[in-house]
Amino acid sequence: MRLDAMAVTMPEVEGHPNRVPFEGVLTLVDEPSNRAPSGARGHRVILTRAAALSALPSLLGMAVDYTPRWDGHDARRKCGIITEADVAGNQLKVSGYLFGRDFPEVEQQLTRGAPESMGMSYELADAHVADMKAEVWTLTRATFTGAAILLREKAAYRSTAFRLQGKRCRTVVPMERPVRMAARHSAYGRGINQGLQILKGKETRCL
Amino acid sequence: MSIETNDVLGSLSESMERLSAATSLLEKTVNWLEQREVSMTGELLKITAAVEEKPRPEQELERKLAVAEQQIAELRAAAAQGVTARKTVPAATAQLLAKQGITTLDSVEAGALDVALTGLSIEQRIAVKSQLMRAGALV
Repeated sequence: MRLDAMAVTMPEVEGHPNRVPFEGVLTLVDEPSNRAPSGARGHRVILTRAAALSALPSLLGMAVDYTPRWDGHDARRKCGIITEADVAGNQLKVSGYLFGRDFPEVEQQLTRGAPESMGMSYELADAHVADMKAEVWTLTRATFTGAAILLREKAAYRSTAFRLQGKRCRTVVPMERPVRMAARHSAYGRGINQGLQILKGKETRCL
Repeated sequence: MSIETNDVLGSLSESMERLSAATSLLEKTVNWLEQREVSMTGELLKITAAVEEKPRPEQELERKLAVAEQQIAELRAAAAQGVTARKTVPAATAQLLAKQGITTLDSVEAGALDVALTGLSIEQRIAVKSQLMRAGALV
């Protein structure tokens, strides 16, 4: 079985004043970016599905940040956290919580801005490029270090998305199919095992 | 029988040599492929999926042009102020110089001025020269 989803179990707190749930599409896998990302020296890039799946554990717990002009990354303006990530089709979807009370301007931008105007941008470290001489660089290995909320027109991938969740329902289901680890004895593999131990039983929670 | 054995041994030996050569060639090929892969691949320390906004060449040229035009305007204004700031010489000084034959104050040579101010005290000469310098008439 291929593990396509991963989540951090967050304890529920009814009416938490600083948690504003969000969901979004962080990037596409096996699809070239529409424009060259920053750091790619002018090359469009493709993040392979295998690389994305291997990097999913590194995405959980990472922050989402923003800039006042909604046009890039600012690691010093972390306004939320990613708690779930999965690869569905060619989309790498994420969800989590914004710190709504600490960053009211973020929630304002999302509620008052034009619908579907916001997108996402990943931040990768130690990305391995299969062929530096190719026109489009293929990333075969990487580590997620965060993500940014920005205007969709500023994103390298036009098909990203970011929106607030009005009412978030999470269904935790057991893994019925066998699991194949990318690195069975690695720290990531052990983390996956621990996560699977938590995913037992079936429970739907609406926040 | 011994001849057949020798033939078999000979063919085996030949086969072994061929296999050894093929193995050596395979090892070289593997090494070459590994080196090629190393030269093709690369590592990126950081990459973000946000587009870098680089200024277009036209925008940069327009910006430089605007800066240059502003500098030209400032220099012209400074030059114009230098001309308009020219002050007139007091009437008494102008009459004194006129008596000594200096009628135009646009440009007064220092030598002619010294001759014209011969009858004045040192303090008076200094005062007249200072007035002419402020008026921009002293060359």
